[in-house]
Amino acid sequence: MSKIINFKIDGQTVEAQKGETILQVARKNDIYIPTMCYIEKTSACASCRMCVVEAEGVDGFVLSCNTPPTEGIEITTNTVALEEERVNIMKLYDVNHPLECGVCDKSGECDLQNKTLEFNVGQQNFSAKDQQRKIEHWGLINYDPSLCIMCEKCTHVCNEVIGDDAIDVKFGGYGSTIIPKNAETLDCTFCGECIAVCPVGALVSSDFQYSANAWELSRIPSTCAHCSAGCSLEYETRHHGINTESTIHRVKNNFEFTSLCGAGRFGFDFQNKSVSDNAAFDKAVEALKNANAIRFSSIITNEEAQILQLLKEKLDVKLFNEDARKFSEFMKAYSSVSGKKHHSGSLDAIKQADGIIIIGSRIATDNPGVRYAMTTASRHNGAKIVYAHPIEDVLMQNTVTQFMKYEAGSEEGVLALLANTLLKNADVDEATRAFLDDLDLGYIEAESNVGEDELLNITKTFARTQNRVLIIGSDVFAHESAQNIAKLAATIEKYTDFSLVIIPQEVNTLGVSLICDLDIDENISNVVGYNADGDFIISALEDANLSVGALNQQEGTVVSIDNRLLPLNVAVEFKGTNLNEIVKRVGLEKENTVDYTEVLPSSSGFQAVNFDSLENFLDKYGNDTRGYILDEVETLVDGTLTAVADLAEFNGTVIYHSNPVLQFNSFTNTTKQLERDTTLRGSAQFSAAAKIVDGEKIEISFGTSTITRVFKLDPELKGTVALNPTFDINVAANEYKFLKSKIVRTI
Amino acid sequence: MSKVYFSTWKGESINNIGKPEEEWQESAYNLPAQYDDHRESKAFIGWDGVALFSEDVDVIRLAMEYAAQYQEYSEACGRCAPGRWGGRILYDQLDKIARGEGAVADLDHLKEIGKSMQVTSKCEIGKTVPNPIIDLMTHFEDTFMECINEQKESKHYKESIGYIAKITSPCSDACPADVDIPGYIEGVRDMRFDDSLMATRETMPLAHVCGRVCPHPCEDACRRTNLDEPISIMALKRLGADWETDHGYDFFQPMEPKPKTGKKVAVVGAGPAGLTTAYYLASEGVEVDVYEALPVLGGEVTVGVPEYRMPWDKYLQDIECVRDMGVNFILNHNVSKEDMTRFESEYDATMIASGTRISKAVRCSNERPEIQGYWGAIDFLDWVNLYEKFDIKTPESVQKQQMLPTDHVDLTGKTLACVGGGFTSMDVVRCAIRAGAKRVVMIYRRDEKTIIRNTTYEEYHEAVEEGVEFIFHSAVNEIVDENDVLKALVIDKFELVPDPNGGRAQLVKIEGASETIDFDYLIPAVSQSADLGFIPDDWDLEMTSWATLKTNGKDYMTSRKGVFASGDCEYGPMTIVNAVGQAKRGASVISRYIESGEITLTDDEIMEDHLKKLKVYDKKEKVTGWLPGLPREHSSVLDTDFRRSNNEEVNLGFTQEQALSEADRCMRCYYIAMVQA
Repeated sequence: MSKIINFKIDGQTVEAQKGETILQVARKNDIYIPTMCYIEKTSACASCRMCVVEAEGVDGFVLSCNTPPTEGIEITTNTVALEEERVNIMKLYDVNHPLECGVCDKSGECDLQNKTLEFNVGQQNFSAKDQQRKIEHWGLINYDPSLCIMCEKCTHVCNEVIGDDAIDVKFGGYGSTIIPKNAETLDCTFCGECIAVCPVGALVSSDFQYSANAWELSRIPSTCAHCSAGCSLEYETRHHGINTESTIHRVKNNFEFTSLCGAGRFGFDFQNKSVSDNAAFDKAVEALKNANAIRFSSIITNEEAQILQLLKEKLDVKLFNEDARKFSEFMKAYSSVSGKKHHSGSLDAIKQADGIIIIGSRIATDNPGVRYAMTTASRHNGAKIVYAHPIEDVLMQNTVTQFMKYEAGSEEGVLALLANTLLKNADVDEATRAFLDDLDLGYIEAESNVGEDELLNITKTFARTQNRVLIIGSDVFAHESAQNIAKLAATIEKYTDFSLVIIPQEVNTLGVSLICDLDIDENISNVVGYNADGDFIISALEDANLSVGALNQQEGTVVSIDNRLLPLNVAVEFKGTNLNEIVKRVGLEKENTVDYTEVLPSSSGFQAVNFDSLENFLDKYGNDTRGYILDEVETLVDGTLTAVADLAEFNGTVIYHSNPVLQFNSFTNTTKQLERDTTLRGSAQFSAAAKIVDGEKIEISFGTSTITRVFKLDPELKGTVALNPTFDINVAANEYKFLKSKIVRTI
Repeated sequence: MSKVYFSTWKGESINNIGKPEEEWQESAYNLPAQYDDHRESKAFIGWDGVALFSEDVDVIRLAMEYAAQYQEYSEACGRCAPGRWGGRILYDQLDKIARGEGAVADLDHLKEIGKSMQVTSKCEIGKTVPNPIIDLMTHFEDTFMECINEQKESKHYKESIGYIAKITSPCSDACPADVDIPGYIEGVRDMRFDDSLMATRETMPLAHVCGRVCPHPCEDACRRTNLDEPISIMALKRLGADWETDHGYDFFQPMEPKPKTGKKVAVVGAGPAGLTTAYYLASEGVEVDVYEALPVLGGEVTVGVPEYRMPWDKYLQDIECVRDMGVNFILNHNVSKEDMTRFESEYDATMIASGTRISKAVRCSNERPEIQGYWGAIDFLDWVNLYEKFDIKTPESVQKQQMLPTDHVDLTGKTLACVGGGFTSMDVVRCAIRAGAKRVVMIYRRDEKTIIRNTTYEEYHEAVEEGVEFIFHSAVNEIVDENDVLKALVIDKFELVPDPNGGRAQLVKIEGASETIDFDYLIPAVSQSADLGFIPDDWDLEMTSWATLKTNGKDYMTSRKGVFASGDCEYGPMTIVNAVGQAKRGASVISRYIESGEITLTDDEIMEDHLKKLKVYDKKEKVTGWLPGLPREHSSVLDTDFRRSNNEEVNLGFTQEQALSEADRCMRCYYIAMVQA
């Protein structure tokens, strides 16, 4: 049976792929069918009934949003009878809808208003008794049920795309409303996706409410600067009055096809507000000239990284960035087996997957973009998802089908066990077979705590899967066996149909690692810090010796988890200087920072494309046309797997560097709306082992650091490892994220 | 046939207005004219029309109350724009007329909104609610106009009148357990699998089981059949249950167990009927002890239904869900007469759910239980399943009697015949294949079509694929033995001779066509009977002609007060879903009986029984508003060569894509029926 279905819409011959609905085919062919509740990225809500069409030979109207076409059927999208019903539906939507458009936050960007005008609803023949309804305040989100048209888009995205499944429809006919699911108030990760998809002013940002009219806001398309998912967004800015600076009022996204987490949506005000004087600028130039090294973070653009690399070559300074260096070493080891620079997978591959194994990440907080892709795979493809980690995550329960707990430090062993399982019948080379045959499975299983039955279960549940992805998280980059882990991942990618996604830690860890030749960080004199510690600090954060703009204040590009180069734009102006101005004084010559975009190294897959010719939008069909995907680069295959060494043991009070929801780094830490939970969170078991109780103030020593925190007993956590946030402290990126620690109570 | 004053039910047009009662024309349908023992109905109003049993009905109020049901009581409502606002407008406008404030234009608005609802609503409830209302407005226009013109209240506007409504659907109505099928399918469509599962568990605790091995009578009443093919209803039930299990959730219970009432109920048997009784009684705060004779829970679904059809780890989830509601199980307890007497004093009620565990004879010559190789289906399946699922070995006495070379049912090199035609016989022959038998034959009196109707299409074809031979139109005449060891069977052949008078065709033996075939085993699986030896003789319980416990089929109490019966021991060997339906009702009756001492049904149950009599599904109805020709999805099964030799689940279930596409075919045929009593 052919997978293509040929049929006609309004006389035009069109074709549908299996699984496509009449509405989807119509949209693909630019044929308009009105909808109020349809959203492309979820299953059909099917509540508005506007999209009814007529089908030749079929009595009655057919709903186009959830009906696939049949071969040869002739569909008509617009007749007098259809128009009449659509007008009636719009009249119904308008029954008792409050006439507060003048103060409604939608301020004209309202589907209800648009469709009311489109269908020319000039009079109302229907009436019903009005009802009193209370406005709900759910933290960052406000909900006004009297404005709600019950399209159900919000509940669908929350469950099917985000995975929080935190809101529900309370059925009750005319009195139906949206309520927090199984809770008194909204308890979710506050991604704000429900606000984004709301076609009316029912769900709004409490911060934005009553602060601006939509038409006064300027839109600046950019890329989210908080993690490596590379989500597209638009900053919306406005001047406060005459001669005042413009500020970001809110962030919006193309919710029809993409999503944002709450950090992206609400954590937009991380711009640098301080400005330094000329004297500081001169000092910075001097500091650079005398520098032995530049230490920098990965929260910078490719262009800045390129400038730093050129500085290294020009001034013979060292470049320190342990985060990117560790990642780069990991990827080099990966390349030595895979023969190419870039991992094969992408967020899209995850969304399409029906079998996913993720290891080495507390993913829901590490990279929400990956989590949402996994949620999509779970709901829409029924994906089998193995979540291998020392700590279970309640947020992932409705997505994960098999939690595989391993002992902290045993990732290499776990990867080896996975390789052994997945490569059982693969046609691998002799060296790989020998490696697998030599594995001491008994020892590894015992030390990692991963049982044979768990591995067998993967084989069993993955038997029917067709699109598989292996995801490797940032826990492993600083692992002492990181290189063997990378090679194991590459081996699985090479010899199976698994595609591979490796999650870079910071927004541009990947870009920096592809551009800079990094040195091992060491304690030497005359280090210039760039968004990092140093003897002289140039930074977009507080306490800088010279202030520069943050990522929402400059043009430039970053490389996302998809190996896609993505443009950033200026949302708010930075009045001071920037890195390029400084380096012009030490002999680098390009006029503007973005002049470096087209000279990024082709040896890493960058293309010679000018910044201004980079696109930054999704087209009307949802295709991502932003920036470009890096070219694949072949590498020498000279790596071999080394025997799995003794697995590390972590006893005593172990902490795990992991941020709470919506916090990522020192930039998210500066934003106004995002919650800042700086507690050490642990289970009852941890609390007993560490002899500390909820609310107690403690001093935690690990490695060379000592910090103070308050301990929070988290009933949702299990096990003996506590979660220590890093967004508010400096932690060494060359240290493995699980750390033995000493915890003492302080008074 | 019901006596009516006026009826538009299913398009009939009976109008006895103004005629003396003795001249009234009767309705062709089984309308609920008598609501219950002490109440007559005054009117019945539903998705396909309205019937009045009395002249005194306030038709405006009736229409208004029907619209109110849609607003207030329908769980299905609120999901689409036309239904949500339209339903409210219907109600408000009708109320306006009924209270004497209506205008002529209101009638036009009612008709206009009614039409919009009929053509654009999401489910049948929204599409059909306007039907009887418009009927009433049309046929009783004078009554409506009188209220409008004179601005007066309708005749019984302010009186207290009982209106009793129930939501139904063709599939739920056909389901013995009245499962909210459109509800759980909607859960799948919306990818809210927890909601889907809870919709199932409202009336059916065995979601894993009935998502796998239910003969799905609902699918014979699926309205989608009128358009193309029925929805694969059963297979979609599995989605919610698998979701809960796969994600390791605590049990999604649709209701919180109520506080303990202090009442106690004993249940005999932990099969589907016993589990169901216990589950719903426990949810009512009743302390329930379930006594099970076997060392394992689950009854025939555990020891009868093989692993490859119903994996034990999945059934265990259903059982644990019942336990989670707060049920106490007592294993290895073969209930005795003394126990039963004791139960009467120690418990507030007893539910007998002991099933039918005696294999009936095939009624042939030389049929003697002592013949080695003659092995009842129930016993045969017990030992197969106890070994495969629990590693319980076949005792030596059975090994010896049935000539087993080892401690489990190993039939390598043996030949086996089974006489049957139902699910049990199918389980026997397919287990025999898996036990290594070299030849397995099903001997069946009737034809292929009938065996498919009695089981399922899939079951029959999978057995054929696995190598089972079927000899149709045949029966065992005689067992041939040597020193009490079975050696061969004499098999008679029959033909179907049509009745010249147009009656049912008769099976007539073909003389001279009989043959003798060598066999090592004969497994009778024709039917089972109930073993009720544990019931005290002096109770003298009333029995059916099938030797099962007699109840009235509504409240499931036996002839002895406080002693109830459900499942196969009441009905005779029947389906799991039938046992669940009976037990659910029984539990509901018991929950009230132990408090009040009275046997009562709820309004919902009375309505359920009325609707079953009326039949919700109409196979002649023309379905509109849906695109026909979307084929039913079929789940894939394990490869024949692979599955023949192991017990892995044969049916792999739907892929998510298949499940979602199948759920999208569901037309949500919810209806509201309402009685004025």
